[in-house]
Amino acid sequence: MPDTPRDTRRINKTARIKRASTLAQGKIVHHEKTADLLRAIIEKGDILCMEGDNQKQADFLATQLASLDAGDLRDLHLVMSCITLPSHIELFKKGVVRQVDFCYAGPQGNEVAELLADGKFPIGAIHTYNELYARYYMDLTPRVALIAAAQADRNGNLFLAANTEETPAIVEPTAFYDGVVIAQVNQIVDTLPRIDIPSDQVDFVVEAPYPMHLTALFTRDPAAITDVQVLMAMIAIRGIYEKYQVESLNHGVGFNTAAIELLLPTYGEELGLKGKICKYWMVNPLPTMIPAIESGWVDTVFSVGGEVGMERYTAARPDIYFTGRDGSFHSNRPMGQLAGHYAIDMFIGASLQIDIHGNSSTVSKSRITGFGGAPNMGCQPTGRRHPSKAWLKAGSEANPGPGALPGRKLVVQMVETFQTGRVPTFVESLDAQDPSIKAAMQGVAPVMIYGDDVTHVVTEEGIANLAACRSNEERTAAIRGVAGYTPVGLKRSAADTLALRERGIIQLPEDIGVSPARANRSLLAAQEIKDLVRWSGGLYDPPAKFVDW
Amino acid sequence: MEAFQQSYSSKTLIWPKSRSWALAGVVGSGNLEVLIEPNPASPEEVAYSVETSIPDFKDSWLAALNDFASHYAIGGSKITIHDQGAAPVVIKMRLRQALDLLVSNTQ
Repeated sequence: MPDTPRDTRRINKTARIKRASTLAQGKIVHHEKTADLLRAIIEKGDILCMEGDNQKQADFLATQLASLDAGDLRDLHLVMSCITLPSHIELFKKGVVRQVDFCYAGPQGNEVAELLADGKFPIGAIHTYNELYARYYMDLTPRVALIAAAQADRNGNLFLAANTEETPAIVEPTAFYDGVVIAQVNQIVDTLPRIDIPSDQVDFVVEAPYPMHLTALFTRDPAAITDVQVLMAMIAIRGIYEKYQVESLNHGVGFNTAAIELLLPTYGEELGLKGKICKYWMVNPLPTMIPAIESGWVDTVFSVGGEVGMERYTAARPDIYFTGRDGSFHSNRPMGQLAGHYAIDMFIGASLQIDIHGNSSTVSKSRITGFGGAPNMGCQPTGRRHPSKAWLKAGSEANPGPGALPGRKLVVQMVETFQTGRVPTFVESLDAQDPSIKAAMQGVAPVMIYGDDVTHVVTEEGIANLAACRSNEERTAAIRGVAGYTPVGLKRSAADTLALRERGIIQLPEDIGVSPARANRSLLAAQEIKDLVRWSGGLYDPPAKFVDW
Repeated sequence: MEAFQQSYSSKTLIWPKSRSWALAGVVGSGNLEVLIEPNPASPEEVAYSVETSIPDFKDSWLAALNDFASHYAIGGSKITIHDQGAAPVVIKMRLRQALDLLVSNTQ
């Protein structure tokens, strides 16, 4: 069909830009004209991407969008990694969203559950980060993308500072498939420190009247770490890090793994593990890693995002962190997630609920959250081909039989048997399996980490090596064996637990040389935020809410 | 406030020469103290005495205390617990810590 036009998107983009031309000087639009700009650019039925993950938000553009009338925004298909802001929720209340494809809705989880119950939240799917970014290049390429940058120059080049995060993953597919990219920036300057996004990929720039929203999501105050968490950290270090010689890894954001970071320079040093474990990290610039870095434990850290307060410290440690020619910190969410998928020996994180098969989830009927990035790392990458000590050792325990993978990534769930308020972590069936939730997801329960992917569960009771189990029944017995005095744990049979312990599938502290008497906060390399500042030589600037001196 | 006593059979604890008792934890919000002392009159039994500020969890307590008695050799001892609302995870840890302090040379 030679007469069929094959450049309709390009023609359409030209028309949109022309409609907005009177609002802009070059690419620069005054912030008071933002609503007019959005009204001129966005069309009925658009796939619209709003940048915003768990840290960084294009919040000014989101607020301006939410201020438009329902008549200006019709039939939108939202694609966005995180539903974080009240202005995101506003669009659903206005009824202008035809479909939403997203990853995570943590801070708005309760609102989302309410909207879903009212039939006002039309979910396409809940994704992991890289899964959604991948779809931006396939069937969900944005027609319009609203993004956030630290600075722009007058040509529209962008500087993203520490929080590059997902901006390139949104801009590239949009710009190269004739979509419109609109950036809010904190500041327009004559010369940028470095160019992270070239102006060729940017259509409009708005200098926002206030800086973009940033959350210090990964800061954990050592003062809040408990003796129980110290015990679990000791168990994990001896029973997993030391046993498998874990060199490359990702840590979750909880206090459990913060305790491990703070035990490396003390307990880990005493065990002679420095230089043998924990050398290569895919993790954000966690303040609780400062003592380990200053003690010479860490070779490199690559991050999916920045962390408020760590700017001067990371800039002063370019041997450890990735930094730009301007000297400041660089992050990249999709590439970090890719590293966490293929290139780490171990993922270790926490969860709110774990069922008797080892599946975990953070979704409940009253709170729809989603996944974020954990499943990209907390899974077995069957496309992996390069060996490492830990990968081969875990594989040798796990994979009998022809056609099995030779190695295995360690996927560790580290949880206390009870959450606060005596809510059991271990359950017979996940809340995520509730029929009303599955119905909204085309029958698929939103499982965070699948039991088949998990190799170990660590609790204050000990370690269950799920990968070494040879049947589903064994796996359930191993989970009950470390589930403490939760209803799931109380159903264990003493004989099963003993048999699994004899085979090393269940290990208690004394089986791996951990002395519970030493499980005391005094073993942590830092007792409070102020100690982290001292370790950093004054380079760490904690956010005000963590400063009490 | 709730108080109860319960004894369980347990293998005899080999009592260290250098120590006659061990104490782990403190009485404080969300915490508890565990005191182990010798009770030579019943070498194949452990005698628990529990005082807790939170009533109605006796079944969970007994399950944990029974497990501890069958898991470790602590016969011939008396274990006194003063609890101020410790989470179950803390209870098990403090028991292990007290025993560890008694039988190991850990400081």
